[in-house]
Parts: sequence; C-alpha cells; structure tokens
Amino acid sequence: MAFTPAAIVFSVLTVATYVIANFVYLRFRKTPLNPVITATVALVAILILFDVPYETYMEGGDWVAAFLGPAVVALAVPLYKHRELLQKNLVPIAAGIVAGVIAGLVSGTLFTRWLGFTEELILTVLPKSLTTPVAMQVATTIGGIPSLAAVFVMVAGFTGILLGPYLLQLLNIDSSIGRGIGLGASAHGLGTAKAFEYGPEDASMSSVAMTLAAVLGALLSPLAAWLLL
Amino acid sequence: MKIVRIILQLLVLYGFLLIGEAIQALLQLPMPGSIIGFLLLFSALLLKIYPLEWIDAGARSVVDYGPLFSGKGVLLLPIVIISTLITMAAAGFASQYIANRSAAQKEES
Repeated sequence: MAFTPAAIVFSVLTVATYVIANFVYLRFRKTPLNPVITATVALVAILILFDVPYETYMEGGDWVAAFLGPAVVALAVPLYKHRELLQKNLVPIAAGIVAGVIAGLVSGTLFTRWLGFTEELILTVLPKSLTTPVAMQVATTIGGIPSLAAVFVMVAGFTGILLGPYLLQLLNIDSSIGRGIGLGASAHGLGTAKAFEYGPEDASMSSVAMTLAAVLGALLSPLAAWLLL
Repeated sequence: MKIVRIILQLLVLYGFLLIGEAIQALLQLPMPGSIIGFLLLFSALLLKIYPLEWIDAGARSVVDYGPLFSGKGVLLLPIVIISTLITMAAAGFASQYIANRSAAQKEES
C-alpha cells in the first residue's frame, strides 16, 4: 500500500465527507440526502474544483480495497441478527432471492451482449445488484473491472431508491416481504436504506435479501458468465 | 476502550477473511475468499462457537469511485437501470406471491 501524502489526504477526505453526509442524512432522513449520493456528489465537486486527477485521488484506493474483504465477512452479523425472520419466511425469501438474482444476472448479460459490448464490460455489469464489496470482488474473480463494477452497483442502487417505489406500486407489491426482498435483492444497501422508510420489517427483509443475494450472486456469477457468454 | 474493541474485532474479521482466502486458494473455488469467510463467520455465530458480542462493534467501511465513460458506454446506464428494475420485480413478486400462497394454505387447513 502506497503511503504517499495524496493517499492519506484523499482517504481521510473520503471518509470525512461520508461521515458528514451521513450525519446530515440521519438528521433529516430524506431519500435524496442518502449519504452515498451526497458524499459522492460532494467528492466529485471537490475533485473538479481543485482539478485533482482521478489517478491521484485513487492513490487512497488501495487503502479502501483493504477494507472490502472484511466488509464482506462482516455481513454475517446482520444476517445472524435476522435469523428468526429468515427461518419463519424461509421459502418466500428463498424464492424471491433466487428469482431476483437469476433475473438480474440473465438480463444484465443478455442486454450487454445484444448491444455488442466486450466480454470485459459484460463481466463488469454482471454483479451490479450485489453489495459493493462483494460486487468488486466478484468482478475481479470473473475478469471484469472492479472499480467500474462499483459504479454500476451505485447506478443500480440509485435506480432502486428513486424508481423502485413506483415500480413496486405499479406491480401491487405492497407487503413488507415483497417490498423488502425486492429492494434488497436489486438495490443492496441503498435499497435497504429506502426500505427503512417503509418500516422496520421491510428494512429487516431488505437487509436479509441484500446479504443472501450477495452470497447467491457470488456463487452464480461465474456460472452465468460461463453459460451466457 | 471502545476503539480497542473495534480494532480487535476488525482483526477477527481479517482472520476470517484470511482463512476464507486460504480455503479458496487451496480448493481452487470459483468464488471470492471473502464470501467463504462470511459463510464461516455466519456458521460460527449460528453454532454459537463465536458470540455475537465479540464482533458486533466491528466497523464496516465501503467507499466508491467512478471513472467516466463516453460514446457507446453510455448505453450501459439504461441497461443497468432496466436490469435492476427487472431484478426488483422478480424478487419482490416471487417472494410476495409465495408468502401469500402459503398464508392462504394455512387459512384453509
């Protein structure tokens, strides 16, 4: 890991921006203020304002990557806390996760293939519905570009919180289980933040869905890449 | 003392991660070592080998960054958006449908 001034400045700046953005979100609890959105916008603005090249900013990237692995392992904790909810609704949850993960992998692969994208980009889009650390590691494993995969993860997350409520309403998905599993399986942590606004049960469902979708997605992504390419 | 606990718990997470990566390398599994580490930690919690209190404060940190793309690459955005909506529809519909059906069955019996 590089121990340059830029690496220290930009990793501290990134974390500090996120902490402030999170504080603002917790204060007002409005979807557009989601800290991932506001912190991203603020950081991009700072980088443009001070004319910082992406490579310089990313010197802190190695440091960030070092936290991805433990972040994945840590997902075991929320899943364990929701184990009773999972046990009670095992069949519908499993059905939703399997349907969602397969639909996401197949549609993502087919659309990118139809439009003639390179194999590397197809493999980068593939893990978009998984939580960031898992998606980046899956992208690495199957031959995609991890940093770009993280961007698609964010696009999926924004889609989930901005368009998700309309889609759910349109399809008459109006139960905690339907909303929670739908948001968590497609839009990971951001979807779970949105689910919190519907209520605690939606949020628990979404948290469980995010974790299980990550595991199943990591298992099925190499298979999907092999089958569909 | 809280900071010491968080650092210790982060080290535990790293421990699980290293074991997961060792297993992945040893058995040549096609999934990331971190997922194996996650499964190991979840099993250890379920089997009460490792108590929840010893890991609960462990910090999580995820940060994202975005390179820009131009030309045809812009098409990747609508693809991801549509695919995400398909994913949500499939997951939400399937879970709600099965949940309603098993609830109806319970009422009948």
